[in-house]
Amino acid sequence: MRFSILLFVLYRILRRAARKNRAYGNYIGSIHSVRIMIKTEKGGRGRLFLFDRGTVTSRRGSGHAYDAAIVWADAGTAFRVMSSRSDEAAFLAAAAGKMKLDGMAFFAQWFNDGVKIAMPG
Amino acid sequence: MAAINGGHLVGKYLREVEKVDIVFGLSGGHIESILDGFTEYDIRTIDVRHEQAAAMMAHAWSVYTGRTGVCFVTAGPGFTNALTGIANAYLDNAPMVVLCGRHPLRDDLKGALQEINQIDMVKPVVKWAATCYDTRRIPEYLSIAFRQAVEGRPGPVFLELPPDILNITVEEAGVPMPVRPARRYTVHPDDSDLSAAADLINSARKPFFVGGTGVGFSVCGSCLAGFMEKTGMPFQLLNYGRGELPDKHPLSLTETGSIGLMTSIQQADVIVAAGLRFNWILQSGAIIPPSAKVVRIDIDPHEIDRNRMADVGLVGDVGSVLSQLTPLLNQRDHSGWIETLRAASSSLLDYEIRMRANPSDPIHPLRLVARIQEFAGEDALYIADGGDTVYFGITGFSSRHRAGVIGTASGLLGCLGTGIPFAMAAKLARPERKVILLNGDGSMGFNAMEFDTMVRHNIPIVCVVNNDCAWGMIKHSQELSLGKERLQCSELGLRHYEKMVEGLGGYGELVTSDDEIVPALERAVASGKPACINVITDPTVTSPATPLFYQSLKMDQ
Repeated sequence: MRFSILLFVLYRILRRAARKNRAYGNYIGSIHSVRIMIKTEKGGRGRLFLFDRGTVTSRRGSGHAYDAAIVWADAGTAFRVMSSRSDEAAFLAAAAGKMKLDGMAFFAQWFNDGVKIAMPG
Repeated sequence: MAAINGGHLVGKYLREVEKVDIVFGLSGGHIESILDGFTEYDIRTIDVRHEQAAAMMAHAWSVYTGRTGVCFVTAGPGFTNALTGIANAYLDNAPMVVLCGRHPLRDDLKGALQEINQIDMVKPVVKWAATCYDTRRIPEYLSIAFRQAVEGRPGPVFLELPPDILNITVEEAGVPMPVRPARRYTVHPDDSDLSAAADLINSARKPFFVGGTGVGFSVCGSCLAGFMEKTGMPFQLLNYGRGELPDKHPLSLTETGSIGLMTSIQQADVIVAAGLRFNWILQSGAIIPPSAKVVRIDIDPHEIDRNRMADVGLVGDVGSVLSQLTPLLNQRDHSGWIETLRAASSSLLDYEIRMRANPSDPIHPLRLVARIQEFAGEDALYIADGGDTVYFGITGFSSRHRAGVIGTASGLLGCLGTGIPFAMAAKLARPERKVILLNGDGSMGFNAMEFDTMVRHNIPIVCVVNNDCAWGMIKHSQELSLGKERLQCSELGLRHYEKMVEGLGGYGELVTSDDEIVPALERAVASGKPACINVITDPTVTSPATPLFYQSLKMDQ
């Protein structure tokens, strides 16, 4: 549950940043139709983030088509690592096989870099 | 007394002083006596169908042999056609001597045939450019040219030879040859800098070594191996440094590709970068965390602090620096760190690993590369040319040989069309090896007529076309920036390149399914001819290089 709430809060932060944060607005600016999924491996939890020409929208659930996905072994690890906002924690999760990328790895990196710009403080 | 003309003096110098036995070019009236000089001094000529291919072959010759490549072109359009290849060699720091015809000095400003100011045009893309005005000084000018090409940071040089000196006969005894070929001098870092670098490396917990073209042109495999085995640090070798140690070396992270490279750099505490520019591929150094310590080794002192201030700079030839540095280092074991990097990269590359392992319809380019690798193995030489195609090739191919895997269009010029000339030079330099070229269908078009050159000169490479019926990187980039409904000049359609190669006297096959790939490659090699296997691949697939390319051109509003 905490993971699903985290994803929803992340969506709200990104949506607000797209409108109010000039740097983030520039970052996602002109890109057409990129779909990023964040989900658990078994698909029990997930959320799709859609970026299209400066806008961010989102859909709940893990069953949507995507260009890149960040796939977590379990919701607990996902919450712990994502809420830590630590690159090293994400790296160690990948090394432990707790986080994998599917599809276009670059877009996952692009998404994560964007989150850093969008996050307050 | 024996007489000799200027053109023969060129041949004599190349053969007797520099021991050149092969040159690359295209004929022309202005350079006729040079051509006859090649005959006189038994120098093999590979005459191509477009001068840019000649320049690219000479460039590639230097990569595969470690010796300066020589290219000859005629005046005017011969020169301008060669310019792209010269510029590419310049940005790749490849030593090359370009011998170029010129309109007669006698006819300056008279509207002579092919009268243009070649020197001013070529100057920005060569290390050195000159016109020789005296037949007796031809060997002296050539000697300067060869020295300039290899001294310090290597690069192309340009020597213009007008008919007024080439077609003049002089007394041979009056034109002595220089006593020795061009040689390379090395410079060495200060002891204090070496000591500072050793302290950083000895205290590193998560070190990473990344080597570039400077490693390759240093031909420093044995001292590089000594350095790696003593420090125990993981490494990746890029560009023309690739293969200086085998891709499957126990400390090599080559198989983790560019994703692994980025991850390793971002997690390392000490980065040793040797003979590698921090250019756009490495986000001009921005990818390196501020907390990481950087030891930079480069033959060019201007490169040491470029785009990222180095904590220690070691100026010198990579091999020479490493041989001085290694005795100062402690024996270390970083196997835990290496295992962590491998495991993390494996998770991040999970999708690519699955695509390589499983057949798909249409064929995924990663699967195509995996099937080619399965066929040709670690003993082949691989070349990849294109946009996305280069990514698929350099991340998927693996070789045990020096310069065994090269992405020819991944240099700073991003020069598509280089694959065919590089593959030809690779086969000429190492005829005992299979040479496999993975060519995008777009880039194939630039030098496809060189299949005629391959047939005439018996250069049996295998060219596999990764055919997505488009300028794939441009198309997918336009999809991101303009939208799928506004694609412009980026689609090519299905073309039967295999039939074109058959028409030129080579071997050709069209492949559309996974199970046809290896048998087609077997037949191509068995034919003994230059071959083209035209493989239709999934046009929707994009490599990570495309969004990187897209992002690099995006401007903040």
